[in-house]
Amino acid sequence: MIASHEIEARLRETAGNLLREKKVSLFLGHEKASLPFRTTPLFLTRIEEAERLAWNPFCAANLSVYLPRLFKAPADAREAKAAPRPPIVGLVLKGCDARSVAVLLQERQVQRENLVLVGIACPGMVDRRKAERALGGHEALGAGEDDEKNIRAVVEDGTEITLLRKDVVADACLECRSPAPSMHDILLGAPVEGNSSGLSRQRTAEFETKPLDARWAGFQGIVSRCIRCNACREACPMCYCKTCLFDQNRPRWIGAGTDISDVAIYHLVRALHMSGRCTECGACERACPMGIDVRLLGRKMCAEVEDLYEYRPGEAADAKPALSSFSMDDPQDFMTEP
Amino acid sequence: MQSEQAISRTQNAQEKGWEPMIVAFLCNWCSYAGADLAGVSRIQYPPNVRIIRVPCSGRINPVFLLRALQNGADGVLVSGCHPGDCHYISGNLAARRKFALTKELMQYVGIEPERVQFTWVSASEGGRFAAIIEKVVEQVRKLGPNKKLVKSYDS
Repeated sequence: MIASHEIEARLRETAGNLLREKKVSLFLGHEKASLPFRTTPLFLTRIEEAERLAWNPFCAANLSVYLPRLFKAPADAREAKAAPRPPIVGLVLKGCDARSVAVLLQERQVQRENLVLVGIACPGMVDRRKAERALGGHEALGAGEDDEKNIRAVVEDGTEITLLRKDVVADACLECRSPAPSMHDILLGAPVEGNSSGLSRQRTAEFETKPLDARWAGFQGIVSRCIRCNACREACPMCYCKTCLFDQNRPRWIGAGTDISDVAIYHLVRALHMSGRCTECGACERACPMGIDVRLLGRKMCAEVEDLYEYRPGEAADAKPALSSFSMDDPQDFMTEP
Repeated sequence: MQSEQAISRTQNAQEKGWEPMIVAFLCNWCSYAGADLAGVSRIQYPPNVRIIRVPCSGRINPVFLLRALQNGADGVLVSGCHPGDCHYISGNLAARRKFALTKELMQYVGIEPERVQFTWVSASEGGRFAAIIEKVVEQVRKLGPNKKLVKSYDS
């Protein structure tokens, strides 16, 4: 097993080389943040700043969310003439990020020739809320990784606390079935085994076996805490519509406030829009300031799309998306017959 | 205004002798003509259905169905051409996947599956259209008024 700091060193070297050889004009990676258990995205353009790149258990952010903005299509011919050439972007990819990039490629939001993908097989990233909870009443001042890949945190009185990685890894990572990037130009670190625990399905089944009204109550429990900040939408690499349905004014389909019915519809529509496209990176969950289980509906839709149409989003960039294709004999036993 | 009326109707449903209200989205080429045929053939079916004509079942966005439920419909029905008969070749086939997922999701979050129904009715199936409406109205009547997604405009 290769330690994170070794991968970090290689990552810095790789990014520096890519910039030096002018293979990329921009490199997207993670940077150490001022708070423990966090990193911030880094937009690297200068070789000498490559040292700022970080690779540690807190690099959870899905950097592919920035890609559609970087390659935004010009609005009209005049704008197209004046537009600068699209950049060639290098970016750090975990398994989930690679799936997101694959979906963006499928949906023609980015061009493969404009990307240099630096894949790193992901050992599972830390959920900072879980880590903070695991520390009990203590406040972490710094955090890192030990040789066993567990998390070491230094708390306010200077003592060191070790947190087992499996206890603080994000839910999305525990559920992740392919932590190694399926698509890459350069691969750093050793490959990681896929996980077949089926945890995602277990959670869905747990909710699904409840009676109808209990499920509605559970859903309302989520909805009633939602403040409609739209953070889940902004964090999602798949949400790149020019005008989101929820922002549209003419017609205004859904109220913008926190009316419980509007919020319920927001979550339903988001789940439907994401079905067959969600790569289960967990960005929405990380972004939620209320700590809501925003992937409750998403997990179900992913399982459903896989069962009905044998499709997993992001597995291959050249696959036909489940909801833009069809077959004459798709199941239709849900249809009403007289 | 109309939706407010719809809400107050739902709220006072039981005492006023509540009748279910179904919003039916029918495709222009088959199901709407099928409903028309039921009419000209003088086939009796419950008057609880409000028909909205759409160019194709592929035009249906699940938001339409949610909006209908939000504004006081007790049930929604979507009907298009039978698979293979779509005026636009494959609109209904592409829609079918969307419908399957919509139905599954509604059930998952605890909305009675009978409130959201999908079917195929061709232009020659006036009898089938009437039978479907009868069945849907009966099922929704058994469920009672829709309270789950309804938006309250009181405050």
